[in-house]
Amino acid sequence: MKFFIPFRKKSPWILHYNAGSCNGCDIEILAALGPKFDLERFGVINTGNPKQSDIFLVTGPVTYRSRERLVELYSQIPEPKVVIAVGSCTTTGGVFRGMYNVEDGIDRYIPVDVYVPGCASTPQLIIDAIVKALDILEAKSKEIEKPFKLFGAIETIGNKLSRLNMAKKVELHEKN
Amino acid sequence: MKKTIQIPLGSQHISLLEPIRFKFECENEKIIGVDADVGFVHRGVELACTRSFEFKQVGYVVARVCGLCAITHSLSYTLAVEKLLGYVANDRIKYLRMLMVELDRIHSHMLCLAHTAENAGFEALFMQIMADRELVMDLQEAISGNRVQFDFIAIGGVNRDLTPELSALIHKNLELLSDKIDTLLGLFDNNWSLSLKYKGVGVLTLDQAYTYNALGPLARAAGLATDVRVETSDFPYEALGYTMVLESTGDIHARNFVRLREILNSIAMCRNIVDNLPSGEIQEKTKGKPSGEAVVRVEAPRGELFYLVRGNGQNMLERVRIKTPTFSAIPAMMEVFKGSEYADAPAILASFDPCMSCTAK
Amino acid sequence: MRKIETTLPTLLADIGTFYEARKWHFLSVNGIDLGEGKIELQWIFSRYGIKDEIVIYYALSDYTTPVPSVVSLIPSAFMGEREIVDMFGLTVEGALRGLYLDEDSLPHPLRGES
Repeated sequence: MKFFIPFRKKSPWILHYNAGSCNGCDIEILAALGPKFDLERFGVINTGNPKQSDIFLVTGPVTYRSRERLVELYSQIPEPKVVIAVGSCTTTGGVFRGMYNVEDGIDRYIPVDVYVPGCASTPQLIIDAIVKALDILEAKSKEIEKPFKLFGAIETIGNKLSRLNMAKKVELHEKN
Repeated sequence: MKKTIQIPLGSQHISLLEPIRFKFECENEKIIGVDADVGFVHRGVELACTRSFEFKQVGYVVARVCGLCAITHSLSYTLAVEKLLGYVANDRIKYLRMLMVELDRIHSHMLCLAHTAENAGFEALFMQIMADRELVMDLQEAISGNRVQFDFIAIGGVNRDLTPELSALIHKNLELLSDKIDTLLGLFDNNWSLSLKYKGVGVLTLDQAYTYNALGPLARAAGLATDVRVETSDFPYEALGYTMVLESTGDIHARNFVRLREILNSIAMCRNIVDNLPSGEIQEKTKGKPSGEAVVRVEAPRGELFYLVRGNGQNMLERVRIKTPTFSAIPAMMEVFKGSEYADAPAILASFDPCMSCTAK
Repeated sequence: MRKIETTLPTLLADIGTFYEARKWHFLSVNGIDLGEGKIELQWIFSRYGIKDEIVIYYALSDYTTPVPSVVSLIPSAFMGEREIVDMFGLTVEGALRGLYLDEDSLPHPLRGES
C-alpha cells in the first residue's frame, strides 16, 4: 500500500463531467490539457472511466436530468477523491441561477473541495485548482491510511450500549 | 429470439465533451437503429430571457447558451433587437463584429478537427491542432479580454476597439496559422491511417441532406450549396472575399476538408477586414424599447442560427425563440449512423461537431 | 419575411402544396404564448440561395386543440414538434413529452401564467 503513495501524487487522473454548462469551461479544460498549458506535465490524464480517476472535474449548474449521473459518477470514483467545481455556474449557479431546470451549483449534491471562479475559467485557473487538488488528495490519502485504535468509552445511545464511537483515528503526534 | 443488441454511448464517455446519450441498435458490428437523448443540458434560457432579464441584459445571457459560438448568439440577438429599435450600425461596428465572428469560426472549426482526430485514435494530431488553435485564442484574448465567452457585442455597437498594435498582431498570428492549415490540408488528404478512418465513412448523400434539412458544414460537405452568409444581407460578406466551400462526397473526410478550407477563407476575410477597417464610432446610443417581431439568421460555425424576438414596447420581451444549428442537424445525424460500424461511431459523432448545450438551451 | 395565415385543419394541405425539399429549408416549429389560453404556432421556412427570403406559416390556436404533425411531409420536423410539446404542453400526433423535461420539471414552462 505504502509503495503506491508517491505515484498517486505524481499522476492523478481526472474525470470530466459536464452537468449542464455552456461548453466554455469544457473547452478550456481541453485547452489546459493541450500543449500550451500542458497540464499533462503533472501526470494528469483525462480518463473516461470513473473507477480509475482521482480528481472529478465538474462543470455546469447541474440540470435536472444530469443529477443522477453526477451522483452516480461521484460514488463510483474510489477513495481518496477530490472534487473541483470549474466555473461560476458550477459553484453558485452563476447566470443560470434561478432558471427552472437547474439546481444552483453542484454542492447541493456532492461535497466540493476546490471552487474555481470565472465565466469561463481560464486554463491558468484550472491548473492552479488542480495543483491545489493535489495537496488535498495527498492529505486525504494520509487520512485514509491512519490506523484505527479504540480510544473512547462505551456510550449509551437511545437506551442501548454502543461501541460506535470507540474507534478513532490515530493522530500523527500520538503515533510518535 | 432477438437478433440485435443494444449498445449505449454516453451520457458520460471519453469521446464526448458534453452529455448526450445514444442507444445504438446493433446487428453484429453494424448499427441499424439509433435513439438519441439530447436533453441533458436543458437549463431554461428561453423562459429566463422573457421573465428574469431586461432586453439590455439578455444579450449577455444568451451568450451563455453555448461557449463555443457565444459570439454568434449575442450577435443574432443584438441584430434582432436593433431591427426592432430601428437602429442601423455603422460600417466600423459591422466590420468589428464580423472579425470576431470569423475568428470564432476558426477556433471552433479547429477544435472540431482536433476532436475528430482524437476520436479516430490520432492523439498526436489532436495535440498539434490544439497547439495551433492557441494562435487564435491569443488573438481573441488580446481583442476582447477573454479567451471564450467574450462579451464583445453590445446593443448599439461593440465594447472594445481595434488598435494598430492589435492589427499587427492579427496579421502576424494569421500568417503563422495559414501556413499550419496548409500543412494540415496535406496531412488530412494524404495520411493513410486517417484515410482508413475518414474516407467513405459516415456518408450523408445530397438527397438525404435535402430531405433532413442538413445545414452548415454538414450540408456543404454533401454538396448542398447553402450558407446563411450569402442568404442574408446583414453583413457585406461578398465584398470581403467570401467564397462558398463545397465538397461532394459527404463523408467525414469531406466534412474535415470543408472545415479546413473554410478556415483558410475566414483567414482571408479577417485580413481584408483588418486592412479595410472604416473609421467611425464603436458604440452608439440607441433609443426606445423594442416592439414588433424580428427574425435574424446568422451563420454560426455549425450552421444556421435563428433568432425570433418579439417585444411589446416594454423592458421585458415577449418571446425569444432560439433555433440552434445542432438542433436541426440531429435528424440527419441519426440517419448517418444507420448502416455504419459501431467502432466508427465516436469519429462520426465528432465530425458533426455536435453542440449539446446549444441544442438543449 | 412573409407571413401567411393558415388554420390547423388546413395546415397539412397548405404546407404540402408549398414545401419542396430542394427549394425550401425547414427551420423550425415555433410557438408564442399570446395570453388568455391562446397560442400562435409558426412553421418557418427559408429559401436556399436567395437573400432574406423567409416564409412563416402561422396559425392561432388554443392549448387544448391537437396540432397536426408535419413529419409526413418534412421528416426532420419531429425535433421541433417534440420541443413544442415539452415547452407548451400541446398535443402533437406522434410526439412524446420528455425531450428536455423530466418528471419533476415545470409541466409547460413557456405557457403563460393564466
